[in-house]
Amino acid sequence: MSVSNLLENWSKFRHTHPVEDKGHPDWEAYPSDIKWAMAIDLDACTGCNACSVACYAENNLPVVGKEKYSHGQAMHWMRIERYWDESESGFEVDQGARFLPMMCQQCEAAPCETVCPVGATNHTEDGLNSQIYNRCIGSRYCSANCPYKVRYFNWYDYPTTKDVWPSPMNEQLNPDLSVRSKGVMEKCTFCKQRTYVARNNAKTEGRPVQDGDVQTACQEACPAGAITFGNLYDPESKVAQKWQHQQVELTKEKQDKDKTEGNRLRGYRILEELRPYPSVMYLERVRESAV
Amino acid sequence: MQHILRLFILLVGLFAGVGSYAADAAPKLTTPDDLGPQIEQPIEFPHFRHAGDAKDGGMQINCMYCHTYARRSMVAGIPPVQKCIGCHQSIESVRDKPRIKKLFEYWEAKKPIPWKKVHDLPDFVRFNHERHIQRFYFQQDRPYQEVCGYCHGDVKKMTVARRQKPLTMGWCASCHMKDHPISAHSTKTGHGPNDCFTCHK
Repeated sequence: MSVSNLLENWSKFRHTHPVEDKGHPDWEAYPSDIKWAMAIDLDACTGCNACSVACYAENNLPVVGKEKYSHGQAMHWMRIERYWDESESGFEVDQGARFLPMMCQQCEAAPCETVCPVGATNHTEDGLNSQIYNRCIGSRYCSANCPYKVRYFNWYDYPTTKDVWPSPMNEQLNPDLSVRSKGVMEKCTFCKQRTYVARNNAKTEGRPVQDGDVQTACQEACPAGAITFGNLYDPESKVAQKWQHQQVELTKEKQDKDKTEGNRLRGYRILEELRPYPSVMYLERVRESAV
Repeated sequence: MQHILRLFILLVGLFAGVGSYAADAAPKLTTPDDLGPQIEQPIEFPHFRHAGDAKDGGMQINCMYCHTYARRSMVAGIPPVQKCIGCHQSIESVRDKPRIKKLFEYWEAKKPIPWKKVHDLPDFVRFNHERHIQRFYFQQDRPYQEVCGYCHGDVKKMTVARRQKPLTMGWCASCHMKDHPISAHSTKTGHGPNDCFTCHK
């Protein structure tokens, strides 16, 4: 983006809502009817980590080992965060931890996109926050600017690192996406390879993508069915209905429901106030003690 | 003297470095005649005989009779030996030709023919045959030889296929940026996706 372009289109930059501004040259001519989104029910989540394991298997993620993990070099696109309730007497361990599956929130106004010096991460027409490994130069700016800390950097050339994929585990690498090399940033793609196939099949059959055409790896693996994934623009889809039922709107940084006191709806998005407009809605866990 | 010696060592090192790099480099994208490398296949398959026009002595078989998956899958597919035999078991006239003999050797040994890949894209690229065939062959009703030829050249005149187009990103994009009619019966146009994420995986 040149400075002259910036100055000429200043009004547009300032006035378009981040969710409306697709940043996509084709958007006006060919608006997409797909916006991938997710809803995660924390009440159902048992913190079993099956989603994380499924993600490792689906997306060719290297298992870095204990030592590199302690250096903060883990590559878990999907991670389970644990939170303990605290009281005056210390941590309330009796109730157990609260679990929060955390992965890329595919923000509509993604903070990572604007800081990439080479434009390796940008917005796709179906509302994903893409990461182009070939273009990435490994500046790690995006990771620094990500409020959710869900971007992972390849510190080593894992395919050639011993015991990352010991034979015959290399045989199970997924050919539908690349095995990233050293010096490249990576993150959750909402299983792009699966959404691609779903869109492709729907297009061949001459119909729009229906709910249930595509499941992400984490959703498929979740034994509690806590994860819902689908097209937010399709009012029939489960995910859109959940968002609607919880009165969470994509375009708002402060939901209307939160203004009314005593609201008992559970839906919320993490760090909404930073205005990244994330595409993942969480459904709050209700403790027995809180009821 | 010291300086000259240092310069000499530097230059030797430089040439050695460049030389060793060149030796390790991947095969060139383009050959002197600007086409892909000549690839020797286990059987010198005559495409012109199967797919060529009748006036040139060809059988005018649709590309997708053998490369079946092109219309319904990411990859076009290499036909199994079974497919070759399916026709050739009842074509007695060419049964004694050396290529056909070789074909039946594979068949009787129950071994697949180790064809070599001619159009090999890098692993980080997602190319989808289905989308292109659906668009240009089924929706736009263009002849299959033309549609396949956009990327594969005039295979109907070749013996063993050879890469005709550069298959680089710029070359893909040069077509994706053009407007094409949506279907044969429509004046509406559209162009290929220009999202990085659609093709890069």
